[in-house]
Order: sequence, then C-alpha cells, then structure tokens
Amino acid sequence: MGRLLAWRLVRRGLDISLFEAGDLSSPSGACWTAAGMISPLSELVHSQRQIYDLGVQSLALWVEWAGELEALSGRSVAFRSAGSLLVAHGRDRTELQQFQRELQAKLGDSADEHLRQLDRTGLRQLEPALENFEQGLFLSREGDIDNRRLLPVLLDVLREQDVQFHQRTPVVCRDHAIEHRGGQQLFDCVIDCRGLGAARDIDGLRGVRGEVLVVETDEVPLQRPVRLLHPRYQLYAVPRGDNRTVIGATEIESEDRSPISVRSTMELCSALYSLHPAFAEARIVETRVNCRPATMDNLPYVYSEPGLVRVNGLYRHGYLLAPALALKVEKQIMEQFLQVA
Amino acid sequence: MSDQLELYGKRFDSRLLVGTALYPSPAVMRESVRESGAEIITLSLRRQGPEQQQGKMLWDYIRESGCRLLPNTAGCKTPREAVALAEMSREIFHTDWLKLEVVGDDYNLQPDPYGLVEAARELVKRGFRVLPYCTDDLLVCRRLLDVGCEVLMPWGAPIGTGLGLLNKYNLRTLRERLPDIPLIVDAGIGAPSQAAEAMEMGYDAVLLNTAIAKAQDPVQMARAFRLAIESGRCAFAAGLMLQRQTASPSTPTLDMPFWQQADRVPQE
Repeated sequence: MGRLLAWRLVRRGLDISLFEAGDLSSPSGACWTAAGMISPLSELVHSQRQIYDLGVQSLALWVEWAGELEALSGRSVAFRSAGSLLVAHGRDRTELQQFQRELQAKLGDSADEHLRQLDRTGLRQLEPALENFEQGLFLSREGDIDNRRLLPVLLDVLREQDVQFHQRTPVVCRDHAIEHRGGQQLFDCVIDCRGLGAARDIDGLRGVRGEVLVVETDEVPLQRPVRLLHPRYQLYAVPRGDNRTVIGATEIESEDRSPISVRSTMELCSALYSLHPAFAEARIVETRVNCRPATMDNLPYVYSEPGLVRVNGLYRHGYLLAPALALKVEKQIMEQFLQVA
Repeated sequence: MSDQLELYGKRFDSRLLVGTALYPSPAVMRESVRESGAEIITLSLRRQGPEQQQGKMLWDYIRESGCRLLPNTAGCKTPREAVALAEMSREIFHTDWLKLEVVGDDYNLQPDPYGLVEAARELVKRGFRVLPYCTDDLLVCRRLLDVGCEVLMPWGAPIGTGLGLLNKYNLRTLRERLPDIPLIVDAGIGAPSQAAEAMEMGYDAVLLNTAIAKAQDPVQMARAFRLAIESGRCAFAAGLMLQRQTASPSTPTLDMPFWQQADRVPQE
C-alpha cells in the first residue's frame, strides 16, 4: 500500500520519504507474503458488497498501472487477467452450488454473467492439468499479480524519482510528524500504512494469521489461480513463473507469526495433493507466515485529518483493494494540498 | 422466570448456545450473538497460540458480548491434548466451564467416545464443569455421567453438515432414559425447523454455529433460530398432541350421517 501510494503521489509532483520497518528488499508486511490474487467475485462470498465494488475498480486500475510500471521499469510485474477457476471434488459438489447461490444472493440476476459452469470437457479445455475433476466454475473477470515482482519494480521506479528511503526504521505516525529512533521529522502530511504496526493507533485492529507454501514442479502446469472448495479446508494455488506455485492460505484468529505449523502444512499439502496427485513430488521451496491487519468488520480503514492519513485493515484483500484505496487517498491528499495552496 | 435452563447450578433464559467461528467478520459475529439471545457462547483456541495469548484481541471482543464463555477443545484428538488445552482455557478465561471435544475421526469430526470419557474423568477430577460433545449412544452418555459430567451434548449430525437430527430414535431414547439430565443437541443443525424439533422432543437446549455463521444473512438467521427454539420449547411445554391415523373434524358435521362421514376420511 505504501509503495503504491508513494508512486501515485510522486507522479503528482510531491516529494516523498518512505519509511519501511523491515528491509526494502523483503518488507515485513503481508504484501510480501500474499499470493497476489485480485478476485472480487471469489471474495464476495466471504465479504460485503463494498469489497467487491472496490475490487472491480482495482482490477481495472491494475490493468492500467501494471502497464505503466512495466513501461517505466522495463520489467514485468506479471499481471495476468486470465480469470480464475473454482473446483470441488464430487462429494463436495454442494460447495460449488453454495458458492453460486451466495453470488446470486449478493449480485442478483447479474451473477450469471460473471461465472461460467464447466463440465469435465470445459474444465480440461481451460486447465488440461486438472484431470481429476468433473465440474468447476470459471470466473473470467478476475486476475492476479506477482507481488514478488511488483514490489521490487515499484522500488526501482521510486528510486528513479528521488524518493528518500529509510529502511529498518519502525516509526510512530503523528499529524505532520514521523517519530523514530533518530528523533522526529516533520512533513506536510504523513500517510500511515503500517498495517499491524499501527495497532496502538487504530481501535480494534487485529492480526489474522495466514500461512502459505511455495512449491515447485513442472508436472502440473496451471494457467491461472485455482481454488479448491471443501467444507473445511480452503485452498488456492496460484501459478508463478519458474514452475512455482503459491499455495495458501490458512486463516487463524491469532497474531502469532511463528513458523508454519505441522497441521497447517498437512492441511495445505493434502488439499494440494487432491488437486493433482503429481504435486506429491513437488518440492516445498518456501514457507511464509504473516498476519493480515483487519478491523472488526473486516472492512478497510481510511482515516484522514489535516497532516495525517491512515490506510489500514486490508485484511485478505491487499492487492484486491490497494489501487482503489490508493486512488481515493491520492485524491484526498491532493485536495489537502490544493486547499493549503 | 419459571422455565429456565439450568446447567451446573446456573440459570439461563435462553436455550440457544452459539459458536463464534466462521462468521464473515467479528462484528457480524457479535451482532448475530446479540440477535440470537444466546447467553452462552463457545470459542476455540487450539490453533491460536494460546500460550502467548496471540488471539487476545478477538477474545476480548467476544468477552465484551457479556455472555458466559464456554471454551472448547475443538481440534484435540487425545485426552492429554484436551486436558492441557482445558487448563490453558481456564487460566485465560477464568472459567471452569468447558465444552469437551475429543475428535476420533478427521473426516466427519466424530467424537472419540473412549477418549472423551477418559478426558472427562480427568477434567472433573481437576474441578472442571464439563459439557461433553458426544455421540447419541446411550451407554457412552451413561459413562460420561458416571465420571461426573452433569450435562450432555449429543450430536444431531456431524459438525457443519446441517443434516439435522439424523438418529431420532437414539435422541428420543436419551431423552426418555435420562429424564433429569440437561441434554443439549450440539452440532449438525442446519435449519431452524430442526432446532425446533429437538426442542419439541424435550431437549433442554441447542448449540450451533455453522447454520448461523454461514447463512447469507447471519444476523437474521440468528433471529430465526432464537424464535424456532422458543417455539419448540413452548410446544414441548404445552404438550404436543399425539399423531393419529384418522382425521377428526374439530366441528362435528351434524347434517351428515356418520357412515357418509366415514367415506370422507382421507386415506394416508
């Protein structure tokens, strides 16, 4: 969120300083842990309409912004708008029906425009690797972005624009001021995107633990994010370059950031194995654990006063909401400056 | 109030107990709990790093509901695990009430009756007020009473299935054979009508989670369950009529000879 906003504001001619609690090359926030899905429809069944509306707006913005960032940096951010696929095993067929029902309840008659039911043949045409499934749902208006490419690209673009960087610098955000180990620095405006780092300043902000695996195999070539629906375990598999697939994610009401548990590993791996048995020989090349910052209503938090803006609570919707929120904050900030001027 | 639910010497007006998991957000959960009228809510802490109190933020939020907390041992597969977690729960929530779960089968989360009895025996010794989540087997229920449980919570169906009261014969047997024991149908309820049916059978209360939390509008569904449970309890108290094979008009049709009336009896 911070880097994206910094880029938007630097484009408007503002001088920006960016403070990062961790390393710039591997930020401590959930943005580095996430799988980068931009799934307004899949998320709608778990959330309120507002998330969907912001998500649809973000998806359109990503198309534009990803292109712009690639042109500026000469590097790919691997934005993909190939839709996403939902599958369930025969005995869990109800989960697909339930998904459809919930989408219909939230979107009304237009729900059918957003999804296509697939039989075995349709499924194979779209994802030939998924041989074990008889039915699925295709959501064409979804996308994803490779956060492990995007964040370094944003960093390079910001470097080109003479943004001042301060890494390994945890801060406290006040109106017009940043406090850190080295003292206090004054600014025209402070934008607080610290996630859980802002827990003391935002009532009811909590962490929701998420665990993610990255596996490597060339035996299951997927073209787009796939979600496996199951009554108890939810799994997504997001294919990345280099034969890698990001697998996630658990959702545990806890602010524990210790390494992934055996149980979560087993749950994710057995769900993955049931997606395709060839995953059995995939190599687990990375495990990631972090806490998603969330408010008690699981909706994003945007607060604004003269000299201070706080953006937080993106929960499990970081890449889904970031552009829409960035645009909103960009407008607010520019209005503040215009008023001052 | 004369028709209160009594569990371990405490009295409650509501006969609906609800879980706190699976809601779209904590805020919706709290609103649903309020609408359900529940006075007892159950919560799980097995995966939340209870040793370091990593879920404290949400626990405090749940606590603010003012309901009696009933920590559970969901996810525990052995008596040892369940006992350890129970001790931690007692320390964190300052309550010796416990919904005891010892899972014996991962696929349908069926309670392990042997592990359950063993864990219950130990927990009662340690001063816990145990509410065991058990199957509907009369003998398992008796063993649980033998080791000191004063409340039983037989399943309607496996957790999260929404299949309702799968074995009504067993559930009726429990009610008839254990007339003085508070019995709560726990798990498997999918619709308010199923909860009402359990109450009509004479069950003392119903505990559920998924049916409310996963509804498209959890708050409204919470209300639906509150009304159904009140309704079922009322019906039980009022005494249900017995089912009959033949229809009997509530107003005699005096103008029609009885042999002709007999012809109009609907055939089942």
